Amino acid sequence: MIKKWKDDLLKSQSGGIFIALLVICFLISTQTSRFLTETNLMVILNQVSVNAILAFGVTFVIISGGIDLSLGSMLAVAGVVAAMYSKSEDGNIWIALPLALIVGALMGAINGWIIVLSKVPPFIVTLGSMTIARGLALIISDGRPVSDLSESFNFIGNGDFIGIPIPIFFLLITFVFCTILLNKTVFGRYVKAIGGNETASFVAGIPVDRIKCWVYILSGIFAAIGGILLAARINTGQPNAGLGFELDAIAAVIIGGTSTRGGKGSIIGTLLGVLFIGVINNGLDLMNVSAYWQQVVMGGIIILAVVIDRFYQNIKK
Amino acid sequence: MKTGLKWSGLILLATLFVFSCGKKEKDGKKKMVIGVSMLSMQNEFIQKVAQSLEKNAEANQVELIVIDAERSALKQVEQVENFISQQVDAIILNPCEFDASSPAVLKAKQAGIPIVNVNSSTKESPNAWVGSDDKESAKMAIDFIAKKLNGKGNILMIQGYMGQAAQIDREAGAMVALKNYPGLKLMTSQTGEWDRAKSMALMENWIQSYGTQINAVFAQNDEMGLGAMQALMDAKMKDKVIVVSVDGIGDAMKAVKAKKMDATIIQDAENQGKKAMELAIQLIQKKTLKEKSIQIPFQVYVGN
Repeated sequence: MIKKWKDDLLKSQSGGIFIALLVICFLISTQTSRFLTETNLMVILNQVSVNAILAFGVTFVIISGGIDLSLGSMLAVAGVVAAMYSKSEDGNIWIALPLALIVGALMGAINGWIIVLSKVPPFIVTLGSMTIARGLALIISDGRPVSDLSESFNFIGNGDFIGIPIPIFFLLITFVFCTILLNKTVFGRYVKAIGGNETASFVAGIPVDRIKCWVYILSGIFAAIGGILLAARINTGQPNAGLGFELDAIAAVIIGGTSTRGGKGSIIGTLLGVLFIGVINNGLDLMNVSAYWQQVVMGGIIILAVVIDRFYQNIKK
Repeated sequence: MKTGLKWSGLILLATLFVFSCGKKEKDGKKKMVIGVSMLSMQNEFIQKVAQSLEKNAEANQVELIVIDAERSALKQVEQVENFISQQVDAIILNPCEFDASSPAVLKAKQAGIPIVNVNSSTKESPNAWVGSDDKESAKMAIDFIAKKLNGKGNILMIQGYMGQAAQIDREAGAMVALKNYPGLKLMTSQTGEWDRAKSMALMENWIQSYGTQINAVFAQNDEMGLGAMQALMDAKMKDKVIVVSVDGIGDAMKAVKAKKMDATIIQDAENQGKKAMELAIQLIQKKTLKEKSIQIPFQVYVGN
């Protein structure tokens, strides 16, 4: 079992990133003694949880051969909605949270429908919906951050259970859910098949359009979960939240070895990609490397990851 | 597999060189370490506060770690979390937002690390605070406009980043001051997000919609005031419209001196940085503070 898992890891593209992650951790810990401490590892997991959840959702989209650029904006809409119904005086998170998730699912569904019906490339459709959703977030919040949120809402972002911050539980639960969904269900198989060869999938009787729609709905729901966590974490629903988050999430997916051309990918790879980004950000912070350099490093790594992907594909042929 | 290894090796090499930029922890004599998270280093005024902090840190032999939160409250919270992991001796926070930066203050206090807010406030109160009463600055600006217009005319207000303490207070201060001048009419207000380019575009649009009705513009910071000034100059309207903004950054002082802008309300960056550093050091040394919050007064600058 362990051997099989090891083989999987080494053979797949996430093998490279796994080793890279270990080495990076080693390097950072030689530079600062504050890195490999329990509290700091908790800090890292807490900090990556939102990006991880977005990345899990968009992994399905990318495996299906699509892309979703509207993640960050959908996150903002859901965050603002969740915050508006979680006000400390009259809020109720049992209304706010489901509502935010429904809003996320709805926005994802609209993305999916337009892509399926119009056959316009997902890049363009979601580029448009990215701007639309951002505008909606600003409209419903009147351009102002929504604050004075209830304690129970605050708890989701800042509370802990048995010493572990709540966002980390969200990270773990979504990870397990997505891993099962991708690897053990018909849905997961269909998503991979569509990404691999859409026409063949259609001929084989796979309900291509319906699956594609669901992939975007999933992405919308996960963006909404991220939005709720983020709003809870900073105790405010911000219409400007999540600017550029779609790029971080997509970067994590790509670094994690999911092929940008669809058909292949894994949730564990995405998690490793997310951790890789998080560890580097945290490590560079601990070593007092400027935030500007962090961006340069991150960009370089993304390009390298894609280059590796291409390289790999060519060897296999 | 082999190629995979080779490539991941390359990734490592690429990142390795950045690590070599990072400072190694120094052993031996222990210096005080203070972590600083600043709202945005793109902003000249904030930069002046940071420079003052750096100057005063050096004078007091404090090791200072200054990072740019790039206007993101989330980034700011994460930076403070990382400061806590780093076990710095104190934190100086220049909050991005009143509510959203608040968890950063709470976390530092929970970790037992003293935290000083500079220039702006958060909902959660820090161990000490240094800044200026933003309401006062707006009141001074409106008083200046009222004097220039003899108490009669139309005003436009360019707001800062919505929800930030400075924006909330400067708006509130302006509203209170406007009540004293029934002849002054606030036609509209809109956010320029503290940004020169954004408020220039905003002013261009306002010139289209209000034209010659505009008598004065109050921008909640100099960057935006300069943007508005530029738009008015391009429309050849500057000599008919009074522009006043707050902060007293270099560019704005120059513009006032050259009679392109009418006034800037100087906020004393130098002293804000100096006092914040003093308070942080006193907190580290566990001295009892004489004052928990220090107000640095504003001045109206009209170019003389």
